[in-house]
Amino acid sequence: MTPTDKTTIDNEKLKEQAERLYLQGLHAFAGSANTSDVESMKRAAGLWQQSWKLYLKAGDTERAKDLKKSLAVLYKKEYVKANKNKKTHVSLAGKFKDWVMFFKIGCFGFGGPMAVFTLLEDELVRKKKILTNQDFLEGAVLGDVLPGPVTMDIVTYTGYKLKKWTGALIATLVFILPSFVLMIFLAMAYDKYSLTPKIAGVLQCLGAAVTGLILSVAMKLTKAEMKDYRELCILIWAFASSLIFKVDIVVIVGLCGLVGIVVYSNEPEERNK
Amino acid sequence: MITTLFQLAWVFLKIGACSFGGGIVMIPMIEQEVVNNYAWLTKTEFIDAVTLGQITPGPVIISGTFIGYKACGILGAIVATASVILPSFIMICLATEMIKKFRENKILANFLRGARIAVIGMVFDAGVSIGRGSLVDTKTVLIAVASIICLFKYKLNPIWVLLGAGIVGLIWSG
Repeated sequence: MTPTDKTTIDNEKLKEQAERLYLQGLHAFAGSANTSDVESMKRAAGLWQQSWKLYLKAGDTERAKDLKKSLAVLYKKEYVKANKNKKTHVSLAGKFKDWVMFFKIGCFGFGGPMAVFTLLEDELVRKKKILTNQDFLEGAVLGDVLPGPVTMDIVTYTGYKLKKWTGALIATLVFILPSFVLMIFLAMAYDKYSLTPKIAGVLQCLGAAVTGLILSVAMKLTKAEMKDYRELCILIWAFASSLIFKVDIVVIVGLCGLVGIVVYSNEPEERNK
Repeated sequence: MITTLFQLAWVFLKIGACSFGGGIVMIPMIEQEVVNNYAWLTKTEFIDAVTLGQITPGPVIISGTFIGYKACGILGAIVATASVILPSFIMICLATEMIKKFRENKILANFLRGARIAVIGMVFDAGVSIGRGSLVDTKTVLIAVASIICLFKYKLNPIWVLLGAGIVGLIWSG
């Protein structure tokens, strides 16, 4: 075996290795393109750099030059992206397009607001990194404080954060759509079949479970909100006036709110949970 | 029909704007309006509406869709659903803009605190009201007690409780 032969074989090996590194880098780069992940960009750059060195060593200058070019492009891109990330959070959120996600969550949103909250947080904060944890907690506070079902509130809030009014509208509509359609079908079926004794029996048992569900929610809320006798008084008054005297709900809620302003006005700053 | 649609819109806007604290809170309000005042549904139908709202995914207020449908067909369903969402939708969007100010306003915070307690009273009310219609014999009372224990003490996911109750119902009704 002549020395030149040996170097050609070595060079072949080096090239092979270089090509593999290049492909790995390409893979990392392709993976990063749609998630705007700076981390994988950097990895791609590192791999290509190694590959470029190996090509130089192997004496394949043509290929090395090509790689150098793509490296330059990569660096430029990374630079631009890193800058964008630093500059505004909003610009990234503005590009959000995955509204189907809200549809999916609407389909599987069993188990109340906390379940939906966790699903959304997982998607937007952990996977896509579009919103921060802080954003999410604020959403939960708002949902708790403002009227309307908490699940709905959180979805609307997330949509608004992503794309202002349009985002809120799309997110809410897309989220409600699956349950809306399902409910229409159920209502139609109900009109037709509710009189069958079997279905009536099942519905009766479900109704009993729902009674339990409502009472347990009330008990949980009581446990969370009751601090002293004042709360108890308001609670009993609200309960009685609604059940016995059939006072209009708007009046009850409004009056209790006013009572709240008066009763808590001289209290030191106390945060609502 | 137009009158019914307007009535539906008014009732559900009112409910949407007053339901501090979540979907279940709306149940007594809805019942008073749609069963007692307007008689769009009978008591049994209303309990079934709430039940269906619980077993479908998404928020409980989807019961409003059912009620709207019963009162005025598909158009009614759309009007009721849109009306019940609208108030909180607008409020959330506005509040997101000024969340800082919103949280630091003490008068508003106190108002909401009082309102939330009122709402708990109404949730109890909902339990009593629905219970009067649905707890008709020993077995239904047993189911209700069992579900309270599962949910309050063991914090089970409601969907399992409902599923269990449905299976029991299927067996009992033969």
